Amino acid sequence: MIYWMISLLAIPFFSFLTSQKLGSKAPEWATLLLGLNTLLAIYLTATHWNSAALTMRGHWFKVGESQITYSFLLDRLTLIMSVIVNFISLLVHLFSQEYMRKDKAKPRYYAFLGLFTFSMMGIVLFNDLLFIFIFWELVGLSSYLLIGFWFEKKSASIAANKAFIMNRIGDIGFITGLMILYTQFQSFDLEVIKSLMIDSEIKDGNWIAQFTNNGQVIINTLDGRWLSAAGIALFCGAVGKSAQFPLQVWLPDAMEGPTPVSALIHAATMVAAGVYLLARVFVILDAQALEVVAIVGAITAFMAAIAALSQFDIKKVLAYSTISQLGYMVMAMGIGAYTSGLFHLVTHAFFKAGLFLSAGIIIHQLHKLESKDVMFNAQDMRVMGGLRKHMPKTFFCFLIFALALAGLPGFSGFLSKDAILLDLAVWADIKGGGFYIPEVLAFGTVLFTSFYTLRMILLIFFGNFRLPVIMKNNELSKELKDGNWIMMAPVILLAGLSLGPVFGLTLNPEHSWFVEAMPTPIYLVPAIYAAKSLVNVSPETFEALHGLVNAVSMGLALIGIVIGYLAYKPNAKLEQEFVERREPRGLLGQVSFYHWYQDAFYTKAILKFVMLKAQALSWFDKHVIDGFVDGFAKSQVIFAHLIKWFDRYFVDGLVHLTVLTSGRIGQLTRSIQSGNVQAYILTSFVFLILLMLYLVF
Amino acid sequence: MPFDYLLFLGALLFCIGLFVVVTRKNAIMVLIGIELMLNAANINLIAFSSFDPNALQGQVFSLFIITVAAAEAAVGLSIVVKVYKYFQTADLDKINELKG
Repeated sequence: MIYWMISLLAIPFFSFLTSQKLGSKAPEWATLLLGLNTLLAIYLTATHWNSAALTMRGHWFKVGESQITYSFLLDRLTLIMSVIVNFISLLVHLFSQEYMRKDKAKPRYYAFLGLFTFSMMGIVLFNDLLFIFIFWELVGLSSYLLIGFWFEKKSASIAANKAFIMNRIGDIGFITGLMILYTQFQSFDLEVIKSLMIDSEIKDGNWIAQFTNNGQVIINTLDGRWLSAAGIALFCGAVGKSAQFPLQVWLPDAMEGPTPVSALIHAATMVAAGVYLLARVFVILDAQALEVVAIVGAITAFMAAIAALSQFDIKKVLAYSTISQLGYMVMAMGIGAYTSGLFHLVTHAFFKAGLFLSAGIIIHQLHKLESKDVMFNAQDMRVMGGLRKHMPKTFFCFLIFALALAGLPGFSGFLSKDAILLDLAVWADIKGGGFYIPEVLAFGTVLFTSFYTLRMILLIFFGNFRLPVIMKNNELSKELKDGNWIMMAPVILLAGLSLGPVFGLTLNPEHSWFVEAMPTPIYLVPAIYAAKSLVNVSPETFEALHGLVNAVSMGLALIGIVIGYLAYKPNAKLEQEFVERREPRGLLGQVSFYHWYQDAFYTKAILKFVMLKAQALSWFDKHVIDGFVDGFAKSQVIFAHLIKWFDRYFVDGLVHLTVLTSGRIGQLTRSIQSGNVQAYILTSFVFLILLMLYLVF
Repeated sequence: MPFDYLLFLGALLFCIGLFVVVTRKNAIMVLIGIELMLNAANINLIAFSSFDPNALQGQVFSLFIITVAAAEAAVGLSIVVKVYKYFQTADLDKINELKG
């Protein structure tokens, strides 16, 4: 069994390792490997859907007394996520074969896609928070590598940095949460944490956990507030990864990456990892943490929907739309609507990936019109218009995706959004008071969503094709064609999956197979701290509000559509002057376009100080530390000169002295030999006489 | 006549011979000096032979010495000739190639 799960991880990793080496064959190879992985995921789902959840645990390493383990979990959530991740990754691989056909760095691209899929599968398969964190970081790395894929472009590498750094800021919270949980439970394994959480209790405001570890009974006590803190801290990780307020500013900039990357990572999978994490730790979040989650989610959804209203760039609209929908999912988790949140995750993955891929087709086809005389930004909606006639298949699919996004009946988005809104209404009624604000924000977002969706459709597909008029070249209009089958197939497939009947032949989300398959779990947090679970609310309450919620949300969506149509229909005033628009108009326009001035705020308030500190540290490094090193080097050189002097005059001098002395002595003794034989004779006689005198006397 | 006078004569001759050897520039004068020293030794020998009952041993040994002196003078002269041929001079002060 474990081999299947390891294969699910190993195949994308193998793709990562080998794609770079394969050069021009990389796209086909990577697509093949991912197709294999998708089949494996589907097979596992088919065989294990109705089985009980499977856990596999193993030891990794030991530090002193603490044992670090790893564990895999195979339950329905894992199966759904692995199918989604692999399937959308496969479609992106296929789509990229055409989209990136002319790019020279294709092997690197496919290698990184493989790395991403591997990391995402890691998050999904492991049930151990430490390992989820490891793969969390890997996913962030893959995102960085792929956003900055065209790193020669300065804006792309800056955007990649931004994404990674904001992710890391969120990870500070994630790590804090891990630390709190480990302090209390001495394990990272979610099963262990969950079971110990059930046994823990709150007494006099203290959170006490009691368990046995290696035969020893351990009682850990923390202040009760740490329980909420752990939940909020883990949520911080999701804030960073899933682009929630206040860390959502990286996602619009991440659109610098190739469009298929945006489809895979920043629409369907990576940003959903935060929601997935919330789903996994759902049962150990207490009421306080859940309130925070819900409010942040609602705020994010609202802010992003407003930001999408005035954008020119098609990918930016989709990016803000993603942030907004993620806000919905996070909010759903926060109000206890586990099932609805996951439902929306799944439907959103399909239609948002579809939206991005269709946008990719449009951008790709427009790029083909570029030449040295004709230069324009292919992502700018101001050059589009009337593409319905040129790209009918793309238009049809885009329409399906957009209607799913707006949440109109008959499409998958309707079911999931309706589920969330209903749960939200019930929650707001239970909580009362200020908690109606998230409800207002969420319903307001419905209005804006349908507005900006219709705005997008009208500006891109209706009216006249604006590019020939701008470029004064009517030939361009004839050259624009629809995408080829490699690009259309994934889009058509996703369009099929965005239709309502895929999730149930019903207009009531309760009867969808998804809702029945993924029930909301009960909270395992000690009862005093636990939130009131929606599971415990009677179905009658839900029924009573269902009609009202439906009516209001439908009404708002239709109002949004009507306003959008009136504003942007062909030959309307706004539509006519859209092509000339360079600056956003009015306060709402400016707040929307500049994304509530968050970037400006961060740059002025935070970035300035960080850069100052970085410059100060750089100065310190260059002058003090390097100065110290240079000074040390210089003093060494001086010391070396001193030693040289000493060596030359003293040590060598000693040697010279010795030599001189020997020489002189030698000369002295030599001088006795004069070569004069007569002197020799004389000397020898003298000594002979002396000797005889000595002998005689 | 006191016996000592004979010994003094021998010693005197020896010293004169030594003086000649040591002082003279010419190599042949050195040879002459050597002869003188030899003859001084002869006188000594003969003086002491008077104590012999047969008065023979000293005198016979003197004969040997005279013979050896003659041979040695011949050899010495041939060496001087060779040295002269090599150094082109008979001046002993100039023959100092063994100088250290």
